Amino acid sequence: MPLLPLAAVRPLNPLLMPWRRLAARAWLREADCDYWLQRLHPLLSLNRVYARLLARRWVSDDMLALTLQCNGNACDWRPGQHVQLFREVDGVRLSRCYSLTAVDGRGRIELAIKRQAGGRLSGLLQDHLGIGECVELSQASGSLRWPSQAQGVLLLAAGSGITPLLGLLRQALASGYSAPVTLLHYVRERGQRAFAEELQALMQRHANLQVRWSLTGQAAQGDELSGRFCPAHVPERAAEQALACGPHGFVAAVQRWWQGGETPASLQSEAFSPAPVDAGEQTCVRLAFRRSGVACQGDTAQSLLEQAEAQGLRPMHGCRQGICTRCTCQLLSGRVRDLRSGLVSDEPGQAVRLCVSVPLGDVEIDL
Amino acid sequence: MSNREDRELNEVELQAFAAELDALRQRTLASLGSEDARYIRRVRAAVRACCWSGRLLLMLGWFPPTWLLGSLLLALGKILENMELGHNVMHGQYDWMNDPELSGRDYEWDIVGPSDFWRHTHNHVHHTWTNVVGMDDDVGYGVVRLFPEQRWKPFYRWQPLWVTLQALLFQYAVAIQHLRLDQYFKGRLSAAELRPLLRQFNAKLLRQWGKDYLLFPVLALLLGANALAVLVGNLLANLLRNLWTFAVIFCGHFTEKAAVFSKESVLGESRGHWYLRQLRGSSNLEGGRLLHILTGNLSHQIEHHLFPDLPARRYAEMAVDVRAIAQRYGQLYNSGSFAGQLATVLRRIWRYRLPPQAALQP
Repeated sequence: MPLLPLAAVRPLNPLLMPWRRLAARAWLREADCDYWLQRLHPLLSLNRVYARLLARRWVSDDMLALTLQCNGNACDWRPGQHVQLFREVDGVRLSRCYSLTAVDGRGRIELAIKRQAGGRLSGLLQDHLGIGECVELSQASGSLRWPSQAQGVLLLAAGSGITPLLGLLRQALASGYSAPVTLLHYVRERGQRAFAEELQALMQRHANLQVRWSLTGQAAQGDELSGRFCPAHVPERAAEQALACGPHGFVAAVQRWWQGGETPASLQSEAFSPAPVDAGEQTCVRLAFRRSGVACQGDTAQSLLEQAEAQGLRPMHGCRQGICTRCTCQLLSGRVRDLRSGLVSDEPGQAVRLCVSVPLGDVEIDL
Repeated sequence: MSNREDRELNEVELQAFAAELDALRQRTLASLGSEDARYIRRVRAAVRACCWSGRLLLMLGWFPPTWLLGSLLLALGKILENMELGHNVMHGQYDWMNDPELSGRDYEWDIVGPSDFWRHTHNHVHHTWTNVVGMDDDVGYGVVRLFPEQRWKPFYRWQPLWVTLQALLFQYAVAIQHLRLDQYFKGRLSAAELRPLLRQFNAKLLRQWGKDYLLFPVLALLLGANALAVLVGNLLANLLRNLWTFAVIFCGHFTEKAAVFSKESVLGESRGHWYLRQLRGSSNLEGGRLLHILTGNLSHQIEHHLFPDLPARRYAEMAVDVRAIAQRYGQLYNSGSFAGQLATVLRRIWRYRLPPQAALQP
């Protein structure tokens, strides 16, 4: 039984400031502080974001919306951003990225989780995460924003790409956006039209909203569209600004169309899967070293340490043969292969050794 | 290397030897999971329980049963934190868990040596160049001559005294190792290079002393308890930990049958060579489960040196395979009781205090 009620968690947060300062200056160990705070309430933490599951709601055959109450460390989050959700599986803290479909000012958020075939986390979350359980989240990030000055907005979503766009759309309509909005959602089957009922209800309430679905794996009925994204799907209505979100292939197709002209003035896009890369062959990839602010072309043959040094970076390192762990860095996104064991890591936040890791595609490293 | 009877391995054998150890490493890596995660968290829980209950008992003043128990519990907590938790976590043994609280790059342990110093002198220098005279500073830490291969200096004549001081102040010896004061006094390290290191060292020293010798005694004063009892209890706990860690670490590489290597022998070293050097340069301690835990599983020094980044709790089961592999390749597997191994270390300290000619005539 927690000693404090849930309602006290967020008001208590500013009082932790002195402890936070001491921990930041290494006078206190943050893990020990969090241990005692969690005796008071499991959501309390100096710096980390913990959230309690308040409600579960199926929004399509394969997508579950979770309503979560976050602690006070979740501040200034916006719909359309995404967070990592952490969960320990077999001793390993796994994380997956989910978009915020709703955010209120009191730390209550909604995430929508789509079941991924063969995924390690999505099925587990859908089947086993119970009401009242606590999960850890990362701070929110992401730059998609609603173009509130635009005279018309086109939203293009594929699969779970609907989630950030829905977050932005809900907020925009609630705050009185009245110019025309068109949403095209591409799904494989009819049952995957996530949030369909809510979108239909929104359409009835807001005359400026038009939502259409396109089925890529089933025959279309009624006013449904059919097939993958093609320019003919985009209605004649003028749209100044477009937002696109979906897997890499979808976003690339939208970008090609957009670059062709006769299209909205600006396009914001977010792809949630990386471009596929053949392992084994030497290919060009994008490397990003976040702390150093360096982005460059790299290859899949040399170790990340060598490639970082070739960019003039001087990462801390030691033995250069995978023994001493001095060059360990966090992998933020992408996939790397361990040269010694052939083991592939693609877990965001995973510690990798630069000297024995080669990228398998575009990667981002916390260096 | 007269004290060992190892078969020399040719290139093909070395490759096969490395492949067998690599395979053992892969098997263990593949089987890491929730048991290992649970274990290290339980160790951390034990550290907290020991340290906090020890500190609480010390608040009761000089009353012998509580004061002694409090000091011993605090010492036990510090030993566990130093050996099984801090040392192993800082090797990145639990990095696979992705837990920021157990990340090898960020963990800061409860001793005066800053973790960053240790990650360099120990994880990099010592583990890469294990027992290479002139490259691995852990061979005698610059104050002890343990092998005839080390050049004798008059200074070594009194080394039993230096070693005693080092044992009593072991955490400081470990901490200043990275400052390379010998290089500074020889003029090979400038004051400008030394200054940032000194600043880092002083900051950590201040934190450790502030906690053990100021904060808790003052807290005792404020609570109306005996500040001196708390202060002395902390001193005793740190002293006991110094002695224990000294004994364990000296038994790791300086026993009678431990080998040292020349700088020339490691030029262009292959993975097989590196494995072989780790096996020959390390020595194990035999004992019960408690001994293994209290040494942070450095009682399996051989396995630790072959696989420094695998969770130490796995060394015991890996030792069975390593022993069999060593036997198949005709390599001595250096293992013995704690008392027996320590005695051979002390004998080395006594024997090699004298110059080479004198040592020949006992």
